[in-house]
Amino acid sequence: MPNNKEKKPLLEVVDLKQHFPIEAGFIFKRQIGAVRAVDGITFTVNEGETLGIVGESGCGKSTTVRSIAQLYKPTAGSVIFDGLDLVNAPHEQMLDARKNIQMIFQDPYASLNPRMTVRTIIAEPLDIYRRRGMLDPSVTKESIENRVEDLMERVGLNRAFKNRYPHEFSGGQRQRIGIARALALNPKIILADEPVSALDVSIQSQILNLLHDLQDELGLTYVFIAHDLAVIEYISTRVAVMYLGKIMELSRSSNLYKNPLHPYTKALLSAAPIPDPVIERKRQRIILTGDVPSPNVERFGCYFYDRCPYRMEICKNNIPPMKRMNEHHEVACWLYE
Amino acid sequence: MNLLPKHKKPLQTTNEFDQVIVGNSLSKDAWRRLKKNKMAVISVVIVIIYILLAVLAPVLPIYPYDEIILDHQHLKPSFVKNAGQLLIEKRMADLYTQAWRQERLTLSTEEDDMLWAWIDKNEANKVWDYMFIEGNKQLAEGTFTFNKAEQRTLDNLQRKLKTDLQITVNKIWYTPVEGKKQNIAKLPVDTIAGLYAEMIGSTSEIEIEQYSREIEQQLMKTIKTQNVGLSEEEYALLLEKEIEGLSKKKHDALIRENVLAKIKSRAKEIAASDLKEAATDESASFPLNKEITIKGPLSADVKATKMHERRYYLGTDNQGRDMLSRIIYGGQVSIAIGFIGTITSVIIGTILGALAGYLGGKVDYFIMRVVDIMYGLPYMLLVIIAMAIFGRNILNLFFALAIISWLTISRMVRGQIMSLKNQEFIEAARSMGAPTWRIIFRHLVPNSLSIIIVFSTLRIPSFIMTESFLSFLGLGVQAPFASWGSLVGDAVGGMTLYPWKLFFPATAMTIFLFAMNFLGDGLRDAFDPQSKNQL
Amino acid sequence: MSNGNSLKTYKNLLEVRDLRTHFKTDAGIVKAVDGISFTLNEGETIGIVGESGSGKSVTNLSIMRLIQSPPGKIVGGEIIFENKDILKLSQRELRHIRGNEISMIFQDPMTSLNPFLKISTQMVETIRLHQNISRKEALAKSIDMLKLVGIPAAEERIHNYPHQFSGGMRQRVMIGMALSCEAKILIADEPTTALDVTIQAQILELIQELAKKLNTAVILITHDLGVVAGMCDSVCVMYAGKIVEKAKTEKLYAHPAHPYTDGLIQSVPRLDKAHDGKLFSIKGQPPNVIDLPDCCPFHPRCHKVMEVCRHHYPPTKDLGDGHEVSCWLYIDKKEHPDA
Repeated sequence: MPNNKEKKPLLEVVDLKQHFPIEAGFIFKRQIGAVRAVDGITFTVNEGETLGIVGESGCGKSTTVRSIAQLYKPTAGSVIFDGLDLVNAPHEQMLDARKNIQMIFQDPYASLNPRMTVRTIIAEPLDIYRRRGMLDPSVTKESIENRVEDLMERVGLNRAFKNRYPHEFSGGQRQRIGIARALALNPKIILADEPVSALDVSIQSQILNLLHDLQDELGLTYVFIAHDLAVIEYISTRVAVMYLGKIMELSRSSNLYKNPLHPYTKALLSAAPIPDPVIERKRQRIILTGDVPSPNVERFGCYFYDRCPYRMEICKNNIPPMKRMNEHHEVACWLYE
Repeated sequence: MNLLPKHKKPLQTTNEFDQVIVGNSLSKDAWRRLKKNKMAVISVVIVIIYILLAVLAPVLPIYPYDEIILDHQHLKPSFVKNAGQLLIEKRMADLYTQAWRQERLTLSTEEDDMLWAWIDKNEANKVWDYMFIEGNKQLAEGTFTFNKAEQRTLDNLQRKLKTDLQITVNKIWYTPVEGKKQNIAKLPVDTIAGLYAEMIGSTSEIEIEQYSREIEQQLMKTIKTQNVGLSEEEYALLLEKEIEGLSKKKHDALIRENVLAKIKSRAKEIAASDLKEAATDESASFPLNKEITIKGPLSADVKATKMHERRYYLGTDNQGRDMLSRIIYGGQVSIAIGFIGTITSVIIGTILGALAGYLGGKVDYFIMRVVDIMYGLPYMLLVIIAMAIFGRNILNLFFALAIISWLTISRMVRGQIMSLKNQEFIEAARSMGAPTWRIIFRHLVPNSLSIIIVFSTLRIPSFIMTESFLSFLGLGVQAPFASWGSLVGDAVGGMTLYPWKLFFPATAMTIFLFAMNFLGDGLRDAFDPQSKNQL
Repeated sequence: MSNGNSLKTYKNLLEVRDLRTHFKTDAGIVKAVDGISFTLNEGETIGIVGESGSGKSVTNLSIMRLIQSPPGKIVGGEIIFENKDILKLSQRELRHIRGNEISMIFQDPMTSLNPFLKISTQMVETIRLHQNISRKEALAKSIDMLKLVGIPAAEERIHNYPHQFSGGMRQRVMIGMALSCEAKILIADEPTTALDVTIQAQILELIQELAKKLNTAVILITHDLGVVAGMCDSVCVMYAGKIVEKAKTEKLYAHPAHPYTDGLIQSVPRLDKAHDGKLFSIKGQPPNVIDLPDCCPFHPRCHKVMEVCRHHYPPTKDLGDGHEVSCWLYIDKKEHPDA
């Protein structure tokens, strides 16, 4: 469901790097290396669209959204939201801008404080920003109370459960609580970190539909992470495929599935099971050999070199640049140079 | 198709099978599990009883814990006999034993041998008990009679027991020539001093002067006990400093205390002589409440009881103080030290541990090295030194224990916080822009609360043990105050002769410690998610 | 179960009859598995699909008799393996079956490997526990097994510790260990849930291949309908402790009979099909299986719910060719007075 609104970049990520130092030493710690979780990625997210990020575990997709949300201080690069570079902006300004960036988390069990009632959880962002004096002064305790109830209804929760604790809810309901919390501040963009991968199949589609409806109604923009390609294909306008902290391919979601260019994307797509025994038994799979290599070493060639079935000499020592194949399709692979 | 559940749900909490869902919080859940644990419930009851006794001690019908009645030294615990009867028994046993030694009371050779064996083994109690029964038997059979002197002692004792009064002065009243009766404890110092001066025929200036001197002497005495082995000049210097430090208000309070004590003792004397007659000829019934006139406008509410009609259910100590009351008041001190010490150390430990765990880096490094260093220092020695430097009182004991015992809890809280801080709900809070204090005190600490509670519960007994140990060594609370430890410590001397002095406080303490430990275990099981039986 | 027009002639290997496993909790009795029956034939791969809490894992723990008691208890039923009821075996006989005749692999291989022992030690011990062979032979056999499951340089890697393997490799080791005693049945409990898509494809391929080669029957427990579609010969769909539908895989996907199965298949987004608008979704939440009343547990979520569903659990009906379903939709008045 591509949203045919006017395309205006809401969020720009430019050459973002997030390295985590590996330290050693007894008293005086010194850095002996770094985990290159995100190693220079660039993309834009337009208003009203959903950018899906897909990749295997350890590819840096979760780190990317956390860096965007400024939970980590990026090593290099910038995150420009609505014209403001969050990385270098003063703290107050950054906080104010970040009101518009909220997150939904993967684990519906771990992402809600077990000692808080549902209403406290949903009201928390409002409470925090009210205390900081960054909300409209018309927001009072009562209006927060009403807002919490409205949000609960909106995400499909019975408002009578306001004073319950998270452990009394099932996974799907908890994820709804998490969504209500993310919506509390009326954000423009929601960063969803695998919001459905911990849920049961029947619940997964409920949550996907809910997110879809909310986007239509509130004009939200999503950055949506998943490792399940089918889910990403369903929800996204555009998809970025990540591997080892790099974007391999970035494309309109329909294009990507019809016409994957990067060998890694092809492998991913062919590995994803399809719930139809007839198709499934006829499929030819590209089975990748080996595992994802360690992200601790600096690489000078293609990041996918070790596992690529089509690797060439040039791939070994030259990092492929992002190449624009058509209006909606970019790929980083020497095959297409 | 409309596939989302859009139908209006009623505002009642039933599930899709029309079964009512009852709300339940984690703490309610824990409480429910605790209630299933029998030992824990019994422990809760015991702990509540102890705390109630300790808190309600001042209003309980027990004798004052610091009231010394020298006649009542080392009385046996007894439910049926009062102090007078016990005293008589004791005296008679004594007389029988003397008579046996003087060979006026003859026993069989085997019995003699047995008694001598007991004496050799220092088991005087057995000898007296045996002699009392044997003597009474022989007295009834007529094979033994008291001689005149002995009879006289007994008669004197009987009379004394009948007439001795215990007088307590409750309130002293001042009735001016015209006007209402006033409680003089509520009058200003000058007035009280004036009244006292009038009473003994002196002037208030002289009295105040004299009392200032008396206070100086009292201060000097405390200084000398607290700082042993200084020269006279140094003492004088310390005294001067102490007096300077004394505010006018405090000074006045000291004088008032002294004057009131004098007036009270006078009232007591007068009451004693007044009521002696009544006690002897049995013209009045006791206990008796009466208002007596001291002199002029001064009068006093006096309560008189027959001293030897008291009953000591748990016996008395070496100064004739009621053990029951001392154990209850001792429990007050011990439990208070346990709780307040634990609370202080938990607060310090939680705050420092949470900061170290959450902030990490240099803060963590610094706090943890302090903890390591303090761990390395000999714990008891530090407390003993602190007590020696800052003086031996309960407050300093609290302080010394608290500053040393936050170490373990801070380490524990730090570990817990470190494992919690990477949970998604903390990330969620951070992504919402929550400030550090909010993350620590709204998210991290409440989630560590269960282990903090369990730890604290298990910590209380160890505090009580430490306090008892220090008091046992004579470093803890000082007389006339008592704690379980000091009671046990005092009792050890005459352990074989007066076992009840050791047995009762030790039992009281043991039961409490057991209860606290069972409660701690119960709480741990209740809070432990492992036992949640969830699928 | 009759396999009338099946091409191969299967031999019954394991038969589960009316198995009931209940757990006692503070809140009440959880009927995690409540009367399920299925048959596993030699060399067959059967899938058990269900949402979390539907009792699929408990079923398989019950087959191995690994239910912790208390709080759990197998309260009824029979599990016939080679003419013996597993539920009536002594601990000694059980040990002989576990790991030897029936092996199990779990979702997280790290929990079932001892982190303090070398892979070689663990494998040799396992083999020697069940087979009377020397240490050397066992080691050689282990190396062969590792080679079979595709571990490169197996001769050297066998002397490593579990943490030196990656997730996918660890799962391979687990499979190697599980099959080292030529087990007749392999129970794979969500073997790929913790793994990435590309690794998942490797592992599934491996299980399939080995099962064929060693003629091992496989019980595959999963929540992923895509995995089942590719792997299994027949499928049991579980809901709230009961099997609601049981059929040959092709049949199930082509003509799902139970509204739940139908909903499940429809609610998965599919790569191969264009989609417009919304996904189908089953409303509501999976039920809590404590104190369920006598009704179809799926009725609050069912889009074809009828009055009778609210009051009685539907009987099981055979739609032919081993396609069994428990739903009132397929019961007419003649067969059952309640319908």
